[in-house]
Amino acid sequence: MARRVLPSTCLLLAGVLLGSLVATGPALAQSGAQPKRGGVIRIAEREAPGLDPHLTISFLSHSYISLAYSQLVRFPNGPEQKSPTDFSILPDLAEKWAVSKDGKVYTFSLRKGVKFHNKPPVNGREVTADDVKYSLDRFMAKSGFRDRFEPVTGIEVVDRYTVKITLKEPYAPFLNHLASPSFCAILPREAEEKFKDFNNPDAVIGTGPFVLKSYEKGVRMVFERNPSYFMKGFPYLDGVTIDITPDAAARLAVLRAGKAELPHVWGWISPEEARSLKQTSPEMSITPYKVIGQGFIYLRTDQPPFNDVRVRRAVSLAIDRKSWNDALLFGEGCVDAGPVPCALADWKLDAAKIDPAKAKYLVGYDPAEARKLLAEAGYAKGFTMPIYHWPGYVVPWRNYYELAAEDLGKIGITVELKPEEYGKYISTTALGKYDKAAMGPSTPFTEVDDFLFGRFYPELPTNQSHVADGELTKMLVAQRREMDPKKRRQIVDDIQRYLADKAYYVYVPQWPQYVAHPPYVKGFRHHDGYGLGMRLLYTWLDK
Amino acid sequence: MKRYVARRLLLTVPTLFLVSVMVFALMRFMPGDVATRMVEGHAYAPTLQALRHDLGLDRPVHVQYLDWIGGIVLRGDFGSSYWTRQPILDEFSRRFPVTLELALLTILVSVVLGVVIGIVSAARQDSASDYLGRVLAILALSVPYFGLAVLVVVLPSIYFKWTPVWTYTAFTVDPVENLKIMLVPALVFGVTRAGPVMRIMRSALLDVLRQDYIRTAWSKGLAERPIILRHALKNAMIPVISLIGLQMPLYIGGSVIIESIFRLPGVGLFFFEALTRLDYPVVQSVNLIIAAMVVGLNLLIDLSYAFLDPRIRY
Repeated sequence: MARRVLPSTCLLLAGVLLGSLVATGPALAQSGAQPKRGGVIRIAEREAPGLDPHLTISFLSHSYISLAYSQLVRFPNGPEQKSPTDFSILPDLAEKWAVSKDGKVYTFSLRKGVKFHNKPPVNGREVTADDVKYSLDRFMAKSGFRDRFEPVTGIEVVDRYTVKITLKEPYAPFLNHLASPSFCAILPREAEEKFKDFNNPDAVIGTGPFVLKSYEKGVRMVFERNPSYFMKGFPYLDGVTIDITPDAAARLAVLRAGKAELPHVWGWISPEEARSLKQTSPEMSITPYKVIGQGFIYLRTDQPPFNDVRVRRAVSLAIDRKSWNDALLFGEGCVDAGPVPCALADWKLDAAKIDPAKAKYLVGYDPAEARKLLAEAGYAKGFTMPIYHWPGYVVPWRNYYELAAEDLGKIGITVELKPEEYGKYISTTALGKYDKAAMGPSTPFTEVDDFLFGRFYPELPTNQSHVADGELTKMLVAQRREMDPKKRRQIVDDIQRYLADKAYYVYVPQWPQYVAHPPYVKGFRHHDGYGLGMRLLYTWLDK
Repeated sequence: MKRYVARRLLLTVPTLFLVSVMVFALMRFMPGDVATRMVEGHAYAPTLQALRHDLGLDRPVHVQYLDWIGGIVLRGDFGSSYWTRQPILDEFSRRFPVTLELALLTILVSVVLGVVIGIVSAARQDSASDYLGRVLAILALSVPYFGLAVLVVVLPSIYFKWTPVWTYTAFTVDPVENLKIMLVPALVFGVTRAGPVMRIMRSALLDVLRQDYIRTAWSKGLAERPIILRHALKNAMIPVISLIGLQMPLYIGGSVIIESIFRLPGVGLFFFEALTRLDYPVVQSVNLIIAAMVVGLNLLIDLSYAFLDPRIRY
C-alpha cells in the first residue's frame, strides 16, 4: 500500500541541501587541477577474510566491497568533506528522507533508475524498495553489527521507490549506522539465491562506482569502473586493483619501488614509517591526519582495588602522557584522547574546557598525588596488578605496555605484563573477561554513541571496565534518544564533564596516521569512515 | 616389499585417525572460540547464539567431529571455511602447487649448494676450502630466513627503487614469469636451509670415506672423482635424504613467512590465517591433508633407502 511521504516541514533539510552538494560534486572536485580520466590505482594490502558484508566484521572486507556497493545514505568524501571526521549524512541510493516528529519513523525515497552491475543473475536490473528491505532484514538477521539496529521494529516497502523504517524509540545514531559502508550495503536477493551468500566473487553485485571483475584468492582483486554509476562522470579511475600483500615491510617496499600507489587500503603508514619514507623517497606525498582511535588501560571497576575511585585516579595520574607522546610519537600524538577521541571534533569536549580540578584525572601527570591517593585508599605500600594485552598491535603498543608498567611502578604499583594470544585476547579480555586490568586499543567507531553508550552502559561486552553508574547511564540513554543535534551535543558534553574525574578508563596518547602515495595520485583525501569506494570516486592519476 | 608397503599403508589409517582426533581436540582447547573471534567487540549474546547455530557449533562435540570426518571419508568433502564459507579443498588445491613449487625449488637450491659444498669440504678436510665451506654453513644456519627475506625485499626498494616482489603468476599460465617470481624466495629459503644439508653431507661423507671398501678402492688405484661420486656419495646421501624428509613439514611451516613477504598465494599463509582466525575446519582439514602427505613421503623416503643401499631389504 502506497503511503504518503511525511510533510515537507519534517524533511531533514540537511539531506536535501547535501543532495544538491552531491550534484555539484564534479565541479568541486575540479576546483584544483583538472582531473584526468583513466588509469588504474594499485593498492597493496592484506587479504580480506570474506566478501559478504554481513558475515564478517573485518574492516578489510568492508573496505574492499565498498567499491562495489552503495547504501541508502553515506558520509561525505573528497571535496564534499569538511574534515576526515565529517560524518554528516548525504544521499546515496535514497535521494531524500524524512523523519517523523517523534523520531521513530524514517521514510526514504529512492533514486529512480539506479541499476545493479550488469552481472548475472541480476543483469543490471533497477534497484527498488524490495532490495532495501531484503538487505536491511538480512543485516538484522546475520550481521555481527546487528545490535546497531536494535531499536528497529519494522522495515516496510511503501511503494517501488519508498521504504519506511520504524523504530521503537528515537535513536540519534541511526542515520550514521545506516551510512556505514561496513554493513548497510544494498544487495540483490538473486545473488544470494544463486550463490548461497555474498562471499563468492561472482555474487558481489552492487550499485557502487566499481565492478568486481575478478578475484584470484591470495593474489589480487580487480575492479573496473562501473559505466552506469548513478553519479554521472564518476569515478575518474578506470579501475582499482588490490594486490594481496600480507607483509607490512613488503607493502612499503612496493610503494617505494613504484609497484603500488597505496601501501595500505587507506594509504596509512605509521609516523615512524613516514619518517623513513620521507628520507628514502622525498618525492612521495605524505600527509599526517588525526584519526579516530583510542587506547586505554581498562580496569575491573566492579572489584577491589579499582572499585575505589582514588585508586583509579592514582593510576591515571601516574601515566606520563606527554613523555610518551614526545618519546614515541615525535610529539605529534594527542594526549587528551578520551572518553571521546581527539579526532571526533564534532563531539569532543577538550580537557581544557573542563574544570581543571577534574580534568587532571583525565590528562594530568602527578605521581606525588597518585601516591597520596593510594595511601588514602589503604595501599600505601602499593599492590601488584596484571595488565593483560595482545602484544601484536602495531607500533607503539608494545612500548605502551612497558611504559605503563614503568610509570605505575613509580607510584608503588607492581605491574605483571600478561601477553595473550590474539584469539584469546579478542574473545575474552577485550570482551571484559579478565582479572583486574588490561590494556589495548578501541575500534575506531564513526558514532560518538559507541565511545559512550558502548563503553559505559552496564552489561555490554564493550563496557570493558564493567562500569555501572546510575547517573551516567541515564545520560547515556538520553543522548542516543535526543534527535536535536544541538541538545544532544549538550548531553554529550555533560557526559564528558561527568566522566573527567571518574577514571573508569585510563586513556593513553593517540597517534596520527600518515597517508602516503606517489605525487601523481590526486584527489585522494582521507576520511575516517570505513569505505574505500567513495574515497576513490574523486581520486585521479596525473600521469 | 609388497607386504612391507601394504603394512605401512595400513598403519597410516590409525596414524591419520589419531591426527584427526588430536587436531580436532586441540582446536577446541584453544582459548576463545571462532564465533567470538568473528564478531569481536560485537559479541552480544543473541548474535553469538545465532552465529554458533549457523556454524553448527551448538551441536555436541562428537557430532561435530563425526560430521567433519564422515564428510571426508564418505564423500571426500573436507568442509568449508567458517569465514569465507568456501570449500576448503578448492582453496587448498589452488594453493598447494605454489607451496609445493616453493618447497621443491628450495630443496633443489639447498641440496645443490649443501651437497656440493659438503663434498668439497669432506674431500679437502681441514683445508682452506673446508674452513670456508664450514663458515658458510654456519652463516647459513645462523641467519634467520625471515630476516634475510625482509632485507632482500626492503634494501633494493630503498636504494634502487626495485623490489623482487611481483604479483604471482601460475606456472601453467606463464612458466618464465612464474620462475622469475619464485627464484628469489627459493634462493633465500634454500640458502638458509643449505647449512644443515652441508653439515650432514660433510660428516656422512667423511664417515664413508674412512670405510674399508673406500680404502680398497684407493688401493686399487681408482681416481678421486669416481671414488667420491660413484662409491662414497650414494651411501653418504642416506642421512641427507632423511634430513630432507624430516624437513618437509618445515617447508610448509616456514613457507608462511616467505609466502607472506613475497606475496605467494600458498598453503602456508592459508593455514596460518585460518589458525589465527580459529577457522576450525580449515585448520583440521589442512592439517590432515599435510599429515597424510608427510606419512606418504616418509614411506617413499624409506623405500628410497633400498635404492641407495642395495643391502637394505624390506
